[in-house]
Amino acid sequence: MKKIVIALCSLTSLSSCVVLHEYDKVNINDPDMVLADKKLAKFETSYQVYREGASGGNGGKTGGGCGCN
Amino acid sequence: MEEKREGVVVVIEKYVSKAFWLILVLPLIGMAQQENVSAYKKRVLESTEVDILSSYYEQTGNNASVTGGIGTEQLTDVAPSIVVSIPLNADDVLSVDVGISTYTSASSSNLNPFDLTRSVGGVSGASNSAPVTNNGYEGVIGSPWVASSGASRQDTWGGITVGYSHSSDSRDQIVSGHASFASEYDYVSVGFGGGYTRLFNEKNTEVSLKGSVYLDTWLPRYPTELDSYLEAGGNLNGGFFNGVDILDADGEVTDKNGSESWHPINGFGLISDKKRNSFALSVSFSQILGKNTQMSLFADVVKQQGWLANPMQRVYFADVDNYFIGNPASIPNYTSAQNTDVFMLAEDMERLPDSRLKVPIGVRLNHYFNEILTVRTYYRYYFDDWGLQSHTASVEVPIKIAQKFTLYPSYRYYTQSQIDYFAPFDSHLSTSAFYTSDFDLSQYDAHQIGFGITYTDIFTKFRTWKFGLKSIDLKYNNYHRTTGLKANYIGIGFKFEMD
Repeated sequence: MKKIVIALCSLTSLSSCVVLHEYDKVNINDPDMVLADKKLAKFETSYQVYREGASGGNGGKTGGGCGCN
Repeated sequence: MEEKREGVVVVIEKYVSKAFWLILVLPLIGMAQQENVSAYKKRVLESTEVDILSSYYEQTGNNASVTGGIGTEQLTDVAPSIVVSIPLNADDVLSVDVGISTYTSASSSNLNPFDLTRSVGGVSGASNSAPVTNNGYEGVIGSPWVASSGASRQDTWGGITVGYSHSSDSRDQIVSGHASFASEYDYVSVGFGGGYTRLFNEKNTEVSLKGSVYLDTWLPRYPTELDSYLEAGGNLNGGFFNGVDILDADGEVTDKNGSESWHPINGFGLISDKKRNSFALSVSFSQILGKNTQMSLFADVVKQQGWLANPMQRVYFADVDNYFIGNPASIPNYTSAQNTDVFMLAEDMERLPDSRLKVPIGVRLNHYFNEILTVRTYYRYYFDDWGLQSHTASVEVPIKIAQKFTLYPSYRYYTQSQIDYFAPFDSHLSTSAFYTSDFDLSQYDAHQIGFGITYTDIFTKFRTWKFGLKSIDLKYNNYHRTTGLKANYIGIGFKFEMD
């Protein structure tokens, strides 16, 4: 737990040392740099939630549905 | 380590409900604080977008949960859906996601393995079925290795999610909400939630909070012999069991009036609480680390309450005698796929605690190498209070091979420990309070290799009605687990933009 807190604090502190202006974000704004899955990935998430014991995490389904079949 | 983890779970559980309601209220506070800027602003979404998506999934395996952890897991699923995003004005976007998922499952079909409608034309249920011949045996048959033709072999799930988001004039705050409804023949789910996103540091930093609630209800279906046992009032000469021989492990016909015949443990009881509610709290933090790198950290806390076991899934005990319906000659080969005509009667259905706390924590890190190559990475650690821990790691490497085409090779590794209540076929003890033989909750590793390709029509040259094609996505995944389950997945998506 201590390690997680230290890691979180370290990463949070990064926000104070990097400031990109909009004109510097050409590469960051590339569609493949988005910090989320594509819409099509919802089907992958669906069968992984059904077949695996773990779920959730950054947009993944976190509840609802029985996962029966 | 175990004690520490339990300590964390207790603390999280203590604060999760308070934090959850706070998150739901936060968006309202954010809305009230927005500035009234009348200057020109870029629309959040320029025009209506329509995504037409579809997937095909198939799997094979030998650990069907409906038949107690052995048997065919063959399954196919086709799932079309449509997602429409509509800009209501410069700041607000409404989205509607409607989809269905139609599956055919050998495992689910064996809710009633004795269904012989294909053989005898419309008659179902063991007691009403005409005798059939199979390997020289005449009588009622069933097998965990053969799909039944019963009603439960296929089903259609249908769902709709409506979402709404509002961005502040300065575009540094986003308030969102969603509501959902989903239904299948034995399950109904109603969900709603809200979220608040704040961008700082010239939009180099983003913090997001989300809360979701799912209020689900079982319309339970039970293994046919358990259900029928209750219907017949425990009388093995009545109803479903009338005229059907029940065999012991030696293949001898048992005396159904005596104590030396099949009875579910504790007489079997139906589900008393049909609710299954989920409360999810999500937090994420995103940060631009440089001109070519950005990352995000995220965590969910999910509390589930209610009937968390699946009433369709049979359980067999090592300390309870086994009884069968079908061909006595096949009993010695019961766990082999060669068995096509004998079925072991359930001793109970799956039973699990009525509460579960799940905590996934993860990170994404994306790096832009050059105009051709980008690397997308993902890692998630997960634990819950049922004893399951898992690690998920994936990498995707988008490669722009031409102005309009990008390739997406990917690899995903997943590993999990088993939950405290799992044991394989016929190895639980009947004295346990909770038990499952669902291999989705067992210990295993899984590997997924994927390949995708995207076509981007930059100038939306292809047009149909009022819409221009923006992109086409095609994805294939090969997934396999160390339990023997193998799956293939194909997904395709078309994105259109309204003129």
